[in-house]
Amino acid sequence: MNPTRSSVPWLSRVALILLGVLFLLPFFWMVSTSLKPLNETMKLPPQWLPSSPQWHNYPDAMQAMGPFWLYARNSLLLAFLNVVGTVFSSAFVAYGFSRLDWRGRDGCFFVLLATMMIPFPVVMVPIYGLFRALGWIGTFQPLWVPAFLAGAFNVFLLRQFFLSIPRDLSEAARIDGCSEFRIFWQIILPLAKPALLTVALFQFMATWNDFLGPLIFLARENQYTLALGLQALQGTISGTPWHHLMAASTLVLLPVLVLFFLTQRTFIRGIATTGLK
Amino acid sequence: MAKVLIENLYKIYPAEKGRPEKMAVDNANFEIQDREFMVLVGPSGCGKTTTLRMVAGLEEISRGAIYIDGKKINEIPPKDRDIAMVFQNYALYPHMSVYRNMAFGLELRGVPKEEIRRRVDSAARTLGLLEPDNLLERKPKALSGGQRQRVALGRAIVREPKAFLFDEPLSNLDAKMRVETRTEISRLHRQLASTMIYVTHDQTEAMTMADRIVVMRYGKIQQIAAPLDLYHQPANLFVAGFIGSPPMNFFTGTLTASRQGTLEFVEKVSAGQTPFRCPLSSETSRRLSSRQNREVILGIRPEHLHPNSLTSGVNLEATVEVVEPMGAETFVYLRTGGHTCICRTTQIEFMDLEGKNLNLGPDLSRAVFFDPETEAAIPA
Amino acid sequence: MTLGERRNLIKGLVFISPWIVGFLAFNLYPLIASIWFSLCDYSVLSQPVFLGAQNYVDLWHDPVFWKALRNTVVFAVVAIPLSTFLSIGLAVLLNQPITGQGIYRTIFFLPSLVPAISLAILWQWMLNGPMGLVNNLVRPFLNIINAVTGSHLQAPDWLNDPNFALWGLILTGLWGTGQAVVIYLAGLQEVPAELYEAAELDGTNAWQRFLHITLPMLSPVIFFNVLMSIIGALQTFAVPYILTGGGDGPGRSLLFLATYIYQNAFDYWNMGYASALALCLFVLIIGLSLVTVHYGEKKVHYSGR
Repeated sequence: MNPTRSSVPWLSRVALILLGVLFLLPFFWMVSTSLKPLNETMKLPPQWLPSSPQWHNYPDAMQAMGPFWLYARNSLLLAFLNVVGTVFSSAFVAYGFSRLDWRGRDGCFFVLLATMMIPFPVVMVPIYGLFRALGWIGTFQPLWVPAFLAGAFNVFLLRQFFLSIPRDLSEAARIDGCSEFRIFWQIILPLAKPALLTVALFQFMATWNDFLGPLIFLARENQYTLALGLQALQGTISGTPWHHLMAASTLVLLPVLVLFFLTQRTFIRGIATTGLK
Repeated sequence: MAKVLIENLYKIYPAEKGRPEKMAVDNANFEIQDREFMVLVGPSGCGKTTTLRMVAGLEEISRGAIYIDGKKINEIPPKDRDIAMVFQNYALYPHMSVYRNMAFGLELRGVPKEEIRRRVDSAARTLGLLEPDNLLERKPKALSGGQRQRVALGRAIVREPKAFLFDEPLSNLDAKMRVETRTEISRLHRQLASTMIYVTHDQTEAMTMADRIVVMRYGKIQQIAAPLDLYHQPANLFVAGFIGSPPMNFFTGTLTASRQGTLEFVEKVSAGQTPFRCPLSSETSRRLSSRQNREVILGIRPEHLHPNSLTSGVNLEATVEVVEPMGAETFVYLRTGGHTCICRTTQIEFMDLEGKNLNLGPDLSRAVFFDPETEAAIPA
Repeated sequence: MTLGERRNLIKGLVFISPWIVGFLAFNLYPLIASIWFSLCDYSVLSQPVFLGAQNYVDLWHDPVFWKALRNTVVFAVVAIPLSTFLSIGLAVLLNQPITGQGIYRTIFFLPSLVPAISLAILWQWMLNGPMGLVNNLVRPFLNIINAVTGSHLQAPDWLNDPNFALWGLILTGLWGTGQAVVIYLAGLQEVPAELYEAAELDGTNAWQRFLHITLPMLSPVIFFNVLMSIIGALQTFAVPYILTGGGDGPGRSLLFLATYIYQNAFDYWNMGYASALALCLFVLIIGLSLVTVHYGEKKVHYSGR
């Protein structure tokens, strides 16, 4: 509570260690279970570590899920499309809301802010109907085309950032002879790289995590994302193979963890700034 | 190179909540001759920057017109006006090298690469961006403030525009850099022989750099004249007080008839004080005859108040408050019966004179009289 | 409009055109359509049949709706304060000069990144009655209490016990407060140290400093976070859906409004009714948001505004 005090109360230290362990425990348990043979998973009292790590559980789990790599490819494809679409369309729209002065701009922005309050379940049914009319149910389109139409949250984020770039850069560029699009592409975007990276990261996480979207809009099994594939595994067999389920869960989690550790600083900074606004 | 004509120019910001309508530029009219260095000067909010930005095309013209080389440019976007601008905060593209910053405008216009190279190198050499260090490949953040400003200058120069626009380019530099860059810009003007429009709030910059100066205040033009004309023949109280440092002394008083049949200026003082008197020459008295027995403001510059000199008929005695020895000259701050004033002299030091009295001999041939109500100078 | 203004307007509209299309297709049209559908009998396969307010009447008399509503609100009302206390507490703990602060922060943050599917399956395993880790940790404490007080407390079969299923879900949610911890930590680090120093000189103790300096300075962040949490919590769908294998949980205790909407829309193809339910959810969200904002405006302290 008082960060300038040089000696930290031992109570705090103990509390932190305790809580840290508690928070890590589920991860540990997940990996531990994934490496046990099935009988060891159900032992009571629980056995903390596998007697010998069953690495083959992982390929077994992938096998049990069915076309694992196909699901992975689907997830990656969607993530990629969403990231590209989101980054560019949000930046494009955010430019219009921040670097240009035009009548009605702030009113439109207010509307944009308001739409952030609309919960997905409310618009779910009509959007389903819309996609159905377009013949897009059972294709990937509903899961990536909207990304190219600029989501409110990312526009908001990028607009904040764009506003911090000095106006006279745009003015100098206008005098130099840039068209507005050129200013966007050659001046603003290169200067916004950190913010764009943050948007890309958040979008990747969101798409990778998306469950309801694929659940509603995909039909055929060969289109499933990893999330759906994993859920299918959960439902299939009776006498749940916890070791396989844990292995599969770990696999789905892995790319997210790797990405996080590679981009930690950007990530944490991004979250902190969105929270502080 | 080109003439720039500003004709009945207005900039009006419409009223919105919390703020009434604002007239930032009120009927500006002037013409800048080809190759002239014209400075727009005035306190902040006077409309000088707004006027410049209207010339640049960065601000919409509310009413009136601007002509460059005889062509009306109201509706023409900035990039087609053939002008270049140097910004207060340099506005260099942070992610581009110095070379690219300067070349960018030319690239956009499809100028061939060899030509770009030639122009950038030439400008860089002129501006000292090649010696002692070649700065062309550096990014702006690796440069000092003075270097950045020179890159901004270079970016304008390579465009070979009809007119150069400067928006307070020296404000962000330290004092020494300011003087250096100021002379640099003046040198450039002679070398390039181009039309330049320069905005500043600093009257020293205006006086040292300009061919002519436009003095503005609250959106209105106060006076347009060459520096020395502005200095010696200010059109009104504001210009007189704004131009020149230390500023002109102003004494309020009345013109009464003197024994010699000429007019005499009698200082206005509060009860119990003794006013000073200055007899005017017969020529001046004739000029001001209609003002007899009326209040006027006497303006006289610090260097025209000579200390310790007795002039016949003048009893300007003042008490010394502060003495500022500057080395080459001394500023003496004094108090008369009803006013404070500054005297500037190169005569012997005036140490230890605080509190003592001094006789001031005003050179009335250099004095300017103002009407207290209209604040206008009473014409010669 | 002057020519310049018109030019700028066109440029502006061109730049925001992607959003305009998205807005029309995914915000405006669905909102209006939702209202229309809620007044109809509509299964996607055939045209909607106008029913007037019949769906709403049915809704009013539908015990399942009330159950779902109750679950959703109870969850929000319980989980959000708990989560807020926990995350602020963690942030305060982290905001001390300890070695490994970054590591602890990562440990607390990581769970919030876990994809819903992994999260749900993991906690389905963790909350397993006989074999789950949670009970294995809890049982020793219960045994001690039983021995001391002679009671017969049992570790609950979380996901199969209608009284405890929601608590299991709340526990799952608490594991994921890491994102809020990062935000609060950043907020804490913005509080100028001089404030604490001055208070210390004034003779306050740590708890008083927390109450009178930390909390007020943090209040805008808390306000925003709580508002976002409310909007999020009321829409809970994925984790309970997966936890229950697509169902409602024991005695419908894990049936959330969003789940019920989904069921009506895509299991029963009763889209009209689903739309009516969805609009109720919308009204609920707006209502609670307005209450929060109203309450927040009074209590939140904005420094330097």
